[in-house]
Parts: sequence; C-alpha cells; structure tokens
Amino acid sequence: MNALAAKNLSLQRGKRIVLDGVDLTMRPGELVLLAGRNGAGKSTLMRLLLGAERPAKGTVTLHDRPLAEWPALARARELAFVPQEAESHFEFTGRELVTMGRHPHRARSMSLQPDDFAAVERALSAVDALPFADRAVTTLSSGEQRRIAVARALATEAQLLLLDEPTSNLDLEHALQLVVLLKKLAAAGRGVLIASHDLNLLARHCDRVVLLHEGRVFADASPEQAFSVANMATVFGVQSLAPSSYFPRDFSL
Amino acid sequence: MGQTMRWPSTRIVLVLTAALFATALLYLGLAREGAGLGDILSALRGVDEGDLSPAADAVRIDRYVFLQIRLPRLVVAAFGGAALAMAGVVMQAAFRNPLASPDLVGTAAGAAFGGALAIVFSLAGIAVIAVPLCSLAGATLVTALVFVLAGAHQRFSTSSLLLAGIALNTLVGALTAFAVTFTFDNYTASSRVLFWLMGGLESRTWDHAWITMGGFLLFAAGIVPRARELDLLTLRDDSAHSLGIDAAKVRRVLLWFACGLTATTVANTGGIAFVGLVVPHLARLVVGPTHRALLPTAALLGALLLVVSDLLCRLAPADANLRLGVVTALLGAPYFLFLLARHRRGEAL
Repeated sequence: MNALAAKNLSLQRGKRIVLDGVDLTMRPGELVLLAGRNGAGKSTLMRLLLGAERPAKGTVTLHDRPLAEWPALARARELAFVPQEAESHFEFTGRELVTMGRHPHRARSMSLQPDDFAAVERALSAVDALPFADRAVTTLSSGEQRRIAVARALATEAQLLLLDEPTSNLDLEHALQLVVLLKKLAAAGRGVLIASHDLNLLARHCDRVVLLHEGRVFADASPEQAFSVANMATVFGVQSLAPSSYFPRDFSL
Repeated sequence: MGQTMRWPSTRIVLVLTAALFATALLYLGLAREGAGLGDILSALRGVDEGDLSPAADAVRIDRYVFLQIRLPRLVVAAFGGAALAMAGVVMQAAFRNPLASPDLVGTAAGAAFGGALAIVFSLAGIAVIAVPLCSLAGATLVTALVFVLAGAHQRFSTSSLLLAGIALNTLVGALTAFAVTFTFDNYTASSRVLFWLMGGLESRTWDHAWITMGGFLLFAAGIVPRARELDLLTLRDDSAHSLGIDAAKVRRVLLWFACGLTATTVANTGGIAFVGLVVPHLARLVVGPTHRALLPTAALLGALLLVVSDLLCRLAPADANLRLGVVTALLGAPYFLFLLARHRRGEAL
C-alpha cells in the first residue's frame, strides 16, 4: 500500500513549467532518494507532497485520502519535514526548536506533557545533538543546525519523513550517522524521502531512486538502474568514470 | 560556547507582577504637589457624608484625586504599555523579523490617522468608542498594506519591511498632518489632535481606562492561547505547515489582534515610541524567545516601563512639560544602541 502518492502533479511559475505530470509514491519501510540537477523541481515537489503548496494539476493522497482533506494536526502527525535552509532569526535553543515538533500532538491550549519531553530527548539523542541542545541555534554551526532540524522532524514521530538536503553541511561522520539512522527508521517501518545531491553516499543506502529532469520523472528505479551511465549523462550532463581506489569509497561508522 | 541561560518564567512573572504593584502604589502616592502616599488609606476609607469639616473636605478631594484622576491614568499606562509590548512580540514573530514593531510597520501611524480623522470629523463626540474603532480601521489598513508590500514570498526581509514601513509611515503621517491643517479653523479639534499625536496620558478618564483595559483583555485573550503557534510562525512557512498550522491564516489573525492592541492603546494615549520595539527584545533577553514565557513577561515589562515613564513625566517640574513619548524614546534609544553593539559582536538581534 502506498502511504503517500502523487499523481500527475503539474505546476507552473510564470511561464516556467516547474513540474509536469509527476507521479511519485512512498511506501512504509522504504528509503527513497529524490535526485536531479539544481532547479529540477525537487524542493517544489517536496512542498507539494507536504501540502504547503497546491499543484495546478494532479493530486496527492496520504493513506489513500486526499492530502487537502486531512486536518492539519493529524496530517502533521503522519508527515514530517526537514527544510533545506536554517530557519529562525530568534535565539531559540536547539531543545526549544525540537520541542516544536510536539505541537501536532497537543491541542492549541494544552501544555506539553512528560511524554512529549521524553520524545524530544529521544530525538535529540538519535542525531547526537544532546551536547549542544541547550545552546542558541544562532550560535551553532550549520551542520549542528541541520541535526536539530532533523531531530525536530523525528520528535513528531511521524511515519513519513520528507527531508530536503539533510546531509548538506554535515561532516562525513555525521552525514553517515544520519543516513544510517534514516535507514534504521525505514527498516522499522517508516517511509523516508530524501531530496539530495549527495549521490555517492545515499545511492549505497537507499532502496529506490526517483530522478527528476526538467520537471518530469526521468527514472524511478533501483539505484543501479537509475544511476546508469546513460541516465547520469542525460540528467546531470556528466560522464561516469570507472571507480578508482581513491573515490568513491565505502564508509561505515 | 556555553549554554543559553533562561530565567524560570514563572518566577520572573511573579517578580514583575510584584514590581508592577509596588510601582503602581508609588504612582498613586507620589506627586509634585497634593495628596501623597500617606493619604491613600484615609482617602480610600472615605468620610461620612454628614461630616462637613475642612479635614473631611480634604479627604474628599484626595479621594477624587486618587480614584478619578490618578487611577484611570495608571490603568491606561499599565494596560497600554502591556498592549504595545505584546503587539510588538506578535509582530516580530508574524513578520519573522526582530525589528518589526507597531511603530516600524506603520500600525501605530495608521491608528493615529484613523483616530485623528475621528476627532477632526467630530465622531468622538457621538460615541466614546468612535476614536478606538477608527484607530483600529486605520491600523488594520496600514498593516495590511505593509504586509502586502513587504511580504514577497512571505519572507519579510528586514530591508523590504523597513522600506515598506518607512513609505507607509511617511505617507500616513503626511495625511494625518494634512487632516489637522485642513481643519485648522476648528482650533479645538486640531489642537486636540496635535496634543494627542505627541503622546501623553494627561486628562485620562475612566472611559479611556475601560477601553484600554478592555481592548487589552479582548485581544490578548486571542493571542495568549496561540503562544505555541507564534513559536511556529518564527519558522519558515513550509516548516510551520508541516507542524500543523496554516501559517498564512494564523499570521493574518494574530496580526489583526496586534492591530487591535495597538489601536485601542494609541486611541487613548496618542503616539508612544519604542515600547513595542524595545520591550520584546528586553523580555527575550530574560526568558528567551518561547512565546508562552515571552508574552506575559513582555506585557508586564511594557506595563512597568510605561507606568515608570509616566510617573517621571508627572514628577518632572511643571515648566519642563515633559512628554511621555519623549521619556520612552530617551529610555528606548540607548537600549537600541546596546542591541547594535551586540549585533556587531555577531550575536542575534
């Protein structure tokens, strides 16, 4: 069963066609990589899948129900998001930002409960952010800010995670830690969709790759098939070289 | 770098509440001349109606001074300060910009324009609520215009907010000045508008006090339960959406409440600079940016600031004619220089 399904999504900004008839599915237990050149429409597609923007044509369904029909808080308990950019101009601590991830679990006027704070601790611990959780995010490195953003998505305990460039600005160890964590979450039954340019790292760990090219789905296949020499040449305009002993290299924690 | 310190918000609120009550007592009891602190209890107790002695008359006069002159003025100062500070907190979150405030965004100028029109066209004589209602209309209109002009893709950059705010402030200020000069032959109306535009709490009656207090209670009741939503508004809109709020709709609703707070205050106090800009920053330094703690802290600090400022005005020599807006500006400007120094050290505003 598809947890999240987009059918025939199209969107135009001015005269530019951003997305044109895009189909995409997310299933529980699957780690999917969304790849493509800059401007291919990955972030826009994320926003449409999230319901933050309406498509000109097409539909998005969450558990077979149109996304627009979901009550906002119920939808937020099912579908979490990590944005591409750092977020706040205010001096929230990391823990305060992650605590916002519990908003979908409490009605507007309700106070947060002990199990909310326990979920926040688990999320901070999962991304190894406890050591800097009580510092203002404005004083954190961009990599640390990314981990806080991921922790907030984890704190929602949503079954589906959409992550826009989650490994950007992360050092190799933390990028790998994050991918391993996302893989574990997928193995435990969550659906994970990652938009990323970090192909070398993610191709080894994802179950499926969706290649976007000029607003359309160019390939939706296993990593081996999607990243074929011909596809890499067409979508990214690069020639694939034989792997050397230097890079790409496999890493483990 | 060390952990960010947060004062426990409950304790801060208790301390500020106690400080506000103590200051209110001083406000009632301190004056250049007339009834003092020692006269409060006897004035509140009152005297028998049949007692016609000079001492009883003095108590009656003191009672009138405390209950009909100083107390309504105190109520306007306290609730007005709280309202402007809370409006500033909401605007900074809603515009995702720590420099937003009712002054900068033009809300206060719009409220002043609406109120000035109500005075100039003698609507104030028809109903006491006419000035606040016209102020609310003016505040809402100008804020909506700045919102549309500055909010390309909902980003509200400092530069676009400043440009739109300055443009609208200048335009509305000019229209207000024109409204005053247009009716210059109506000396009473134009002088009343001029006096009021300078900001001040002289001659405030219980009518003004009820409207200021009622406006604060009404609009704050719409804001306080949405404290967590205000936290989410400080994020990008797609993040806020993913956490279960319709950011655009929540922003519009909360900004309108902030307009309400500003309008019901400005209609009764005239223009008072800096409170809505400075107090939210001051409160954030103490309890952090989480709105559940920030809203009550800022409201209490705003009340305290305006009560102390107005007390200074009242105690200043009569010939100095010290205006409330001047005192708040004198207190606010150095604080902003302090913020500028912090910003230059690389810290967030």
